[in-house]
Parts: sequence; C-alpha cells; structure tokens
Amino acid sequence: MLKILFSIIVGVLGAAFLHLIIILSLPGFSNSDAFQRVEAIGEEDSFHVLDAGEDGGRLLNGDPYLRTAVCAFDLSDMPVHLMAKGQVPFWSLAIYDSASNEVFSMSDRTSVGGTLDVLVAAPVQLAAIRKALPAELAQSILVEMAEGQGYAVLRTMVPQPSFGDGARDFLSKAQCDAFDVGG
Amino acid sequence: MFRVPLLVALSLVIAFGGGILFTRYALDASAGFGAIRLGAWEAFPALHTADADPYAKSHRARAGRLLFGTAEGLEFTASDDDARTRLSAACRYRISGQTPPARLWTLFPVAPDGKPLAAQEGRPTAINSWVVLRDSDSSFSITVSSDAAAGNWLALPPSGDFKLVLTLLDTPAAGSSGLIDLSMPKVEKIGCGHA
Repeated sequence: MLKILFSIIVGVLGAAFLHLIIILSLPGFSNSDAFQRVEAIGEEDSFHVLDAGEDGGRLLNGDPYLRTAVCAFDLSDMPVHLMAKGQVPFWSLAIYDSASNEVFSMSDRTSVGGTLDVLVAAPVQLAAIRKALPAELAQSILVEMAEGQGYAVLRTMVPQPSFGDGARDFLSKAQCDAFDVGG
Repeated sequence: MFRVPLLVALSLVIAFGGGILFTRYALDASAGFGAIRLGAWEAFPALHTADADPYAKSHRARAGRLLFGTAEGLEFTASDDDARTRLSAACRYRISGQTPPARLWTLFPVAPDGKPLAAQEGRPTAINSWVVLRDSDSSFSITVSSDAAAGNWLALPPSGDFKLVLTLLDTPAAGSSGLIDLSMPKVEKIGCGHA
C-alpha cells in the first residue's frame, strides 16, 4: 500500500517537473507561433494583406473592423524601411522579434503628418546610418532592433463599409523594403 | 514479480499523462498571470512583451495570434457578466456606461474558444465607437441578444455560450500607468428566454 502511495507521489512530482519543462521550452519548440505563421503567408520584405480566410484568419482575432497586413523581415543583411500613406481614420504599426516580443509600436497619432515612415535596423547598421543620414531618411523614425528576424504588423480601421476602399488602398500600397545603406 | 515494473509504470503514467494534460489545461484556461480585471472585463497588457511570464509566453506561442502592441491598443474579453454568470446566447444583456479614454473601440462576440461565431447574414454582429448611439453624457447602452432590440443592438446566434471582445484602440490604458481608475462598461443580464 505504501509502495503504491510512494509511486503516486513520485508520479505527481514527475508531472510537476514535466509541466515546468513544457512551459519553459514550448516557445522554442512551437512550430505554429505567430512568427512562423507570418513567414508562411508570403515572401519576406513585402506587406501581405491578411484576409479572414484560412491562413490569415488563424492569425487574426476576428475583429470585423480592422484590416491587417504583415511583413516578415531579416535584419542580418540590410535594415528594412516601412512606408505607407493614405487617407484612413486610424492606423497602427507594431514590430515584433521572432519570439513575438514587441520591439516597437506606434499609431498615426505619433506619426509625421499621418504618414508611416520607419526604419528598423540592427545596432551596428543604425550607428553607420546615424553618422551619415541619407536624405530619404530625414523624416524617418529610426528603430533599433537586435539583429535577426522579425515581423511588422500594420493595421487600419474600417468603421463603416465606405472606408473599405481607402483601407485596402493604404495596405496594398504599404512598403516594407530592404534599405540599401550604400545606395 | 511484476510489482516493481507495475509501480514504475504507475509513476510514469501519472507523470507523463498528468503533466501533459495539466499543462494543456493550464495553457487553454488562461494567458498567464499578468491579467487585469475591471468588472467583467479581463485584459493582458503585457502578453505581447518580453516581460510576460513563462505561462504567457507559452500561451502566446501556442495560440499563434497577432497581438496588439502597447501603442496600438488593448483587447478586453468578458466571458461572464458582472454577476459572474457565464454569458449565454439564451439570455439578453445590456452593456452600458463609458469606456476608458480611447480614440476608437470595437465590440463583437466570439465563441468560448475565441474563434468567430457562425456568420449571421443581415444582423449586426459587431459595433464600434463611430456608429454607437450615445446619450447626452456620452454614455451608451448596447443590447446584446438574439432577438432584435431598438437602439444599439448586437446580434447573437440562437443558443450557445459566447465571450465579448472589446478592443480599445490608441488608448493610454494599454501602458501600465493608465490602469488605475479605469471604468469599463457594465455588463448586466436583463432577462432570459423570450420573456
């Protein structure tokens, strides 16, 4: 009897230990987290508008008034320059690293004239850019991000159906280009 | 002769089976320890950041959804009404009051597992701050029910449980400094059935 009790206690301790290990290591082993789903949507360095259909739908939370576009990028080679402009009542941007931790976020309230103009660069690239700021970055917001991969999420709101065209225009014309520092 | 292997097997079954089942339950039940609760509404302001606790990071990796950044907005979810009774489409509810300061907000119901509800053609299944009708003091009152109601009405399917998702966009509430003294709308049940 005692032996059975002992083995149950050992089992419970093992369950607790296993629970801890799973919780701590799950982010590293997950193959359907947000970053991997964003990478699966399309190629890097361009904004892909998500629809409520199969692949986009799993990333979204079903808000019928928000339109979203995502762009995966890799800072190992070059910084990435995010640009968008248009007549929309609201837009917001969030930049995440490959573990889906937020690096930076902003909305049109903190933008220059409602235009999105953000340069995301690794610290080494940013130091070089700051030493000699190119003319096209004169009004850009410079965001430093540890080197590696990440993704940007651009959202805009469609409060009533008549705003749909403006939102589609805004998102489809948004750019997420690798920025050639030399050029 | 089989005593020892049997006991070892018992330990292993409890360890692996119990550990995995308990972990799945814990990850599905909540998104970590950093929740804030205001009345019936619950939010996780740090879920998308590097400061999230390990449970939150696991939940985030498993759910694989795009979360709102701190400067984007904050998403509140209500699965019970103010009296802590589960929200059910067989009953009618009134959401009234004001939201914390936010440039825009959206409100829509979802299924208990977070997935969208079945589509309902021609019925208003979502509402936002631009179209909501307000009283003279800027407060609003939204009826959430499967039967049509005058004024602001959010349609539900005929039966089943649901959750309400209220997303505040461009709000100081998302940063931790704005959390004190936030007042969220009340969620009260006004009746069940077709009475």
